[in-house]
Amino acid sequence: MVPRVQTPSRKLTDLEVGATARMLGAEVDAELRTLLRSLGLTDNSPLRVCKRGEPCVVQVRATRIGISRRIAQHITVVPDAVGPAPLPATR
Amino acid sequence: MSGNVAALPLRVVLAGNPNTGKTTLFNTLCGLRAKTANYPGTTTALRIGATTAGTDARLEVIDLPGLYDLTGSSPESTVAAGVLDSEAQPCDVVVMVVDACNLARNLVLTGELLAQGRRVVVALNMMDVARARGIAVDIAALAAELNSPVVPIVARRREGLDALRRAIDSAAKTVAAAPRQLPAAGASIDTLMEWADLVSARVMRSTAAPTTADLLTEHIDRYVTHPLYGLVVFVAVMLGLFWTLLTLASVPMDIIEALFGELGSSLSRALPVGPVRDLLAQGIIGGLSGTIVFLPQIALLFFLISLLEDSGYLARAAFVMDGRLSRFGLPGQAFVPLLTSHACAIPGIMSARLIPNWRDRLVTILVAPFMSCSARLPVYVLLISLLFPNPRWAAVAFAGCYALGGMAGLLTARLFGSTALKGNPRPMVLELPPYRVPSLTNALLAAKDQAMAFLRTAGTVIMAICIVMWWLSSYPRVAPPAEAQTLRAQAATMPAGEAQSQVQQRATEIEARASQAGSFVGRFGHVSQPVFAPLGFDWQLTVGIMTSFLAREVFVSTMSVLEGGSGTSDVDAGVVSRIRGMTRADGTPLFTTATSAAALVFFVLAMQCLPTLAVTRRETGSIKYPAMQFAYMSSLAYVAAAIVRQGLLAAGFQ
Repeated sequence: MVPRVQTPSRKLTDLEVGATARMLGAEVDAELRTLLRSLGLTDNSPLRVCKRGEPCVVQVRATRIGISRRIAQHITVVPDAVGPAPLPATR
Repeated sequence: MSGNVAALPLRVVLAGNPNTGKTTLFNTLCGLRAKTANYPGTTTALRIGATTAGTDARLEVIDLPGLYDLTGSSPESTVAAGVLDSEAQPCDVVVMVVDACNLARNLVLTGELLAQGRRVVVALNMMDVARARGIAVDIAALAAELNSPVVPIVARRREGLDALRRAIDSAAKTVAAAPRQLPAAGASIDTLMEWADLVSARVMRSTAAPTTADLLTEHIDRYVTHPLYGLVVFVAVMLGLFWTLLTLASVPMDIIEALFGELGSSLSRALPVGPVRDLLAQGIIGGLSGTIVFLPQIALLFFLISLLEDSGYLARAAFVMDGRLSRFGLPGQAFVPLLTSHACAIPGIMSARLIPNWRDRLVTILVAPFMSCSARLPVYVLLISLLFPNPRWAAVAFAGCYALGGMAGLLTARLFGSTALKGNPRPMVLELPPYRVPSLTNALLAAKDQAMAFLRTAGTVIMAICIVMWWLSSYPRVAPPAEAQTLRAQAATMPAGEAQSQVQQRATEIEARASQAGSFVGRFGHVSQPVFAPLGFDWQLTVGIMTSFLAREVFVSTMSVLEGGSGTSDVDAGVVSRIRGMTRADGTPLFTTATSAAALVFFVLAMQCLPTLAVTRRETGSIKYPAMQFAYMSSLAYVAAAIVRQGLLAAGFQ
């Protein structure tokens, strides 16, 4: 079994397509945070990145959510240590 | 209980997340009998319908707007709270429409309703899609977890509706008891979501891998939200939409105009000459025609928008436009109202309801009339023909008018965003629903609802405006000028034939000119002419501006009447050359380059449509906003036209 490592938090916009992660927090105003929660992006909920860029598309449970880049860059997530390949070091 | 109480219908409120097929369920339950009305205590129009429970109980069904939860301060949550907690009309049963494919998230709102101690019946919708995606829900286990009846349905195929009706009927007779493990009322969404995830894990089994449908959606999304391909798709879809709108709506519009024209002239023939005949034939028929002529466009537009929304594309299109429009302080969804306004600002402003945020919607409504609508077209044709005899330059000028209107709208949105309506548009977070074949029934009912709403409210106002404007431009009556009387006397002595009818027509034209000039509008034009002097407008042009408040295209027929010709509204070469020959009181030409250009710029920018102001008043619920729209647009038009004229004069043009 692969040992679970504590991975540092990252910006949602830094994740590759197909990466899975858990919601950590969002530095946005209260109204937007409520909207994100309503759509299912509650604390610690699992998500998968379907598309990068503008808009960023993530899947939470069975909901696909389009998120404007201006918001996505303020969302922090904890990438899953086990799962799809880690991010390439260089671009 | 007395029999009188038993005869009251059960009040059933339909609640559910957006995109769960709630509207489809409402439509299959209530069909055409539904009406849109304001619910007591709310300002939003809700759809209310009637059906039966299959027993002798009747059901009154109220369709709430789609909402994710009750805690937020969104307008939807406020409306829902208003309906659910209404003391005048308490609700008996809440039918919670749940998307079987997205159980956990849908359970959040379900949990909130249960925690408030309401009698809830869960309608587990889209069971067919869920099965196809390998999702199995244990209905009995879910019912036990929620301590409420759960009815599997497929609203689209009318499956499970009878069972749902029976469940509503029996739920109304029970006492609600919230499930034991449910977080107490007022719990945070995070707590509720944890509970929902637990319940969902216990009752649902699903093949974990994404299905082919998911992968296809993901693949399509990568293209339709792509910065470049997405724009190409967007332009293609919108061109298709407007081509369909303009092609299909023009047929019934022409028929309506022809029918009312025919009705007006047969009334004129049938009734004795007098004010009653004129009021009926010109005022009321004109007013009716001016209202109903918008109906095909409005109904068709909402039909097409409903199809696009149902298909799932509209949410993607909003993202394509968001980046481009947000620079001007407009939200992505504003593209629908702004594009629609190029046909007519009335349906454009109505379609702004798509925009969820109030500030964003208001800015969109305020700038929508800047888009060059089809009523401006004949005016553009006339003035551009006067300015540019060369067709190539005329085409450039045409494009320039559309661009000027569009830019003025966008820049105004930006200006309002940093002044009167401070704030940036909400950056978009939007659910991207799965692509679906849109429902024709839903689209037809949406079109019917919007058309009726338009007729009920805006229709009456527009009709009143048409009658008042007709009266102002026809009264007071003036005696026929001496020249016309002489011609009539001369015609009376001539033998019947072409020469005689020519003389008679000439007399009619002179009378029309005199009555136009002598009417209230004509007199007002004379009085207010000095205001328009900096734009180079004489009294005739000022009267043209005044009469075009009824509808811009009236400008052409007014100018034609004032020139002394017949009141045609078709711009042909004859009309252009006659109007080109119009002179001021001192005999100098009226339509010089500088004056024509000023008039053109004025028409591009000015708020000259009372029906649009009436619709703005209705959609914003305040007289303040149409007043602001009118004052701002007219001042801008005036200043811009004055600058253009003075600039051209300074550059040596006449």
